[in-house]
Amino acid sequence: MLDSTTGDAALAASSALTLDRFGAESARIGRELADQYHRYHIETEEVDDVDPLPHRFLVEVGKFGLAKFIVSELFHYGLKPDVILSRPCTYGVFSGPVGGFHPLPKLCVGCLRCTVQHPDFVKVLPNPKRVALGDSYTTHGHIAAIDEESKKGLVPVRGQGYRGRFGGPGFDGMLTDMSEIVRPSRDGIHGRELIGTSVDIGTKPMHLSFDEEGNLQGKIPNMFTIQVPFVFDVPPGDLGTAKLAKVLDSTSKRIDTLACMKAADVIERGMDSPNIVPVIPKEKPEMVEMFPAARLIELDGWDKDSLDAARLATDALIGVRICFTEGWQDRLMKAVNNRVDVVHLNADLHGRGFDDGRFISDLLKEAHMLLIEKGCRDMVTLIGAGGLVSADHLPKAIISGLDAVALDLPVLFALQGRSHGSLVDREQVRGTLPKKMTQEWAEQRLTNLCASWRDQLLEILGAMGIREARRLRGEFGRSMIVNHLEDEAFEGIEGYVSGGVI
Amino acid sequence: MSIIQEFKDAYKGKVQLPSEELLTKTTGLMQDGMRARAMGDYIPPEALGDARWTDELILSTWYMAETGEIPEGLNYKTGKSDGGFDRLDFKYLPESDWLEHSDSITTKLDLNRRGDAKNKLTTDIPWYGGGMSYGSVSVNVMMSRARNAARWNSFMSTGEGGYPSQLMECKENVITQVATGYFGVEEETIQAAPIVEFKYAQGAKPGLGGHLLAAKAGEEVAKLRGSVPFVSLFSPFPFHSTYSVEDHSKHLDWIETVNPTALLSVKVSTPHDVDMVAVGSFYAGAHIIHLDGSYGGTGAAPEIAKKNIAMPIELAIPKVHKFLQAEGVRDRVTLIASGGVRTADDIAKAIALGADGCVLGTTDLVGLGCTRCSNCEGGPSGRGCPWGLTTTDIELQEWVQPDWAAERLNNLYTAMQYRLRDILRQLGLSDVSELRGRTDLLRYMGKDEAARAAGKAAGIGLEEIE
Repeated sequence: MLDSTTGDAALAASSALTLDRFGAESARIGRELADQYHRYHIETEEVDDVDPLPHRFLVEVGKFGLAKFIVSELFHYGLKPDVILSRPCTYGVFSGPVGGFHPLPKLCVGCLRCTVQHPDFVKVLPNPKRVALGDSYTTHGHIAAIDEESKKGLVPVRGQGYRGRFGGPGFDGMLTDMSEIVRPSRDGIHGRELIGTSVDIGTKPMHLSFDEEGNLQGKIPNMFTIQVPFVFDVPPGDLGTAKLAKVLDSTSKRIDTLACMKAADVIERGMDSPNIVPVIPKEKPEMVEMFPAARLIELDGWDKDSLDAARLATDALIGVRICFTEGWQDRLMKAVNNRVDVVHLNADLHGRGFDDGRFISDLLKEAHMLLIEKGCRDMVTLIGAGGLVSADHLPKAIISGLDAVALDLPVLFALQGRSHGSLVDREQVRGTLPKKMTQEWAEQRLTNLCASWRDQLLEILGAMGIREARRLRGEFGRSMIVNHLEDEAFEGIEGYVSGGVI
Repeated sequence: MSIIQEFKDAYKGKVQLPSEELLTKTTGLMQDGMRARAMGDYIPPEALGDARWTDELILSTWYMAETGEIPEGLNYKTGKSDGGFDRLDFKYLPESDWLEHSDSITTKLDLNRRGDAKNKLTTDIPWYGGGMSYGSVSVNVMMSRARNAARWNSFMSTGEGGYPSQLMECKENVITQVATGYFGVEEETIQAAPIVEFKYAQGAKPGLGGHLLAAKAGEEVAKLRGSVPFVSLFSPFPFHSTYSVEDHSKHLDWIETVNPTALLSVKVSTPHDVDMVAVGSFYAGAHIIHLDGSYGGTGAAPEIAKKNIAMPIELAIPKVHKFLQAEGVRDRVTLIASGGVRTADDIAKAIALGADGCVLGTTDLVGLGCTRCSNCEGGPSGRGCPWGLTTTDIELQEWVQPDWAAERLNNLYTAMQYRLRDILRQLGLSDVSELRGRTDLLRYMGKDEAARAAGKAAGIGLEEIE
């Protein structure tokens, strides 16, 4: 810094601040600052599969038909190798030693050229094992996308246009906006132009107070920043193994975010650290003392006495987990009015409220607006979970009012785990992780997923011209709701009913 | 080269220009297979189709491209996406009030409504070919589209990737594009073009610019684009020289200086304020406002951008149409819709919602054999489309020979025009321009009716798309 406080007159005279000196000094300081600057970036690296998903397609070749075709080829083309060895597949499905007699379906991308060229003896079918992955909400499409993102760490890019339904329920019915002009460029958003994805965790003061001498009055706000607007949630069901906990711990450290874990597991595994968020039963607030390194501790449910007791026993931020069950609005307001730093809102894994079945985006909007109306939105950080299984759900949840999203099921599928049974109720989730999973492999997979989702968030923010994820919070105006657009477009058309559900 | 070495190379799949025999064999098998599939000689391929382009819609497009006629027994009208065009139908008159099917039912589209001294362009059909750049598709595909456009007194756009010299034979029917990367923008090609299209954004990736993956940016492509071969190319959205309608106006003035007679088209995507953008473009001097909806095609786009950013074209058309009407300028500008317009029925519905005409891209490709496998950007092979459409691979692009492809497109357009006339006559209209904005002639189908209308739609179901 340029020091303007030196009192020595002689020194001051000899080092009078000339324009040249000012310029040189400014440049030096600028260089120093630039050298200190570290641009946040998640290092990705493609990793091999250890338990690949079932292939997308099955390839069936009629042996007799193929043999007949080959004989006919030999008869017609004789010793013209480029002709008789040409294959109808550029992806290598028929490139094995015996060609089509033993196709390699794992290489099939479903172009169907083989089934058109040889309709009489080649079939390509969707693989029922693949289609059976997940459930009606977390579909095999979501699982395949997570798998690809975790493998490569890239933004999935493909040709052809959108292939799915028009709008749809839940997050599918929400579109994000864009700006035709005045925004960062696409190559810029991943490079020289900065779009911040960091999020502040904790309470922001609504105003600052100073005494007569200009000193800040009161307690300095206790808050910290994580670099991405998502954290890892407590693994659902039976997934919270020590092995997975270790992966969540190391990955959250690596990318500078948080991992929520059951307090008992944190103690048992000796994992207390600044990136771990112990979740303690609200009946045992005294447990907070056992986590001296934690920056944030969550109480599993709202209870004022528990909060008071916990606060007395720790300097860490205190969060409260609130489920979207009856009376959640009341519990949310009580928690915030009692200066809870973080509220962690939970819907079921299909993103529905537990009582009324409303979708999480609507519930989050209500929570956000409730706090806005009471003038206390910035007094609390809202984290949310439930039904967030796709990269596009991240910006949509933030638009709906969250500061950060908590990831649950995506972790399982990023690590090529398999679910068994219901994917609705957190407690009932049953899953297995690959036996061959190593710590290094799993950390890289999860890191890749985080990088991919962050980069996809950048794409959405870039298209809007928004340079900070924090500024997206609760920006409903940056979304478009398909039902509303349909009302505007189709109003007056015979048979059209708002929502189109007839 | 020894025969053994030839066999080794062939076994390894060494890529080279195909021999005459290989070309004949492969194109023969592909064309015969497409015909057999379209004619229903076999059941539809089990893995064919998605919610927007069902197996029946793809096969019916192949049928039309094969025969020039409307298929029986296949749904050629709607997909299974459960919304937008797929839930809309027409309120046809009782059969006794239908007009005779006749070539006198006009399907022409005027493109210059400003009444200025520039080209007075009219197409025979209310649609033309959308921008697909050299690099994203082969020059053979571009040539076939251009030749077909010439037959229909219509147009096709070069997209942003330059103007291959072969296209000059059809220059009266070729629109050239100026987009944010300015790839391949040359004074002489702007001077040759009857319409110059400014691409602000593309529906499939609004706000993200263009993206040509390295594998497809070969020697010739790079030469036209003034870039280095086999390096990924981003068209860096937005126009960095445009921050206002006035800046936009300067852009159009620049083109007018280079080519005083060319019509000016402005292609934008569909954000919430698309109506304001459209009016701004009109006042900046655009003759054509081209809206590209979010379900549109692309050679490569982030999956998150498709669908999630901006709105489907069905929802944008009425918004813009009404706003232009309220502004009192609707009749002085041509409103073109694209991005998810697949069939003659979609075109008619888009016009009834308020457009003057449409732009087609994916439909042309499907007509030439595309199965919508989504590997246009290169796919695992890195060579691009195995059908020879969206590729510049020296072998694969040969599977689409321009004469064959132009003939298929001509057949497809013939069937589509027939179907469009069929719709008009059943509505008692003798000119497609009478349909514009006639939402009173539309009805919204119930869920079940729309599902029934979509046909059996085998293949990958609505909930099972990856």
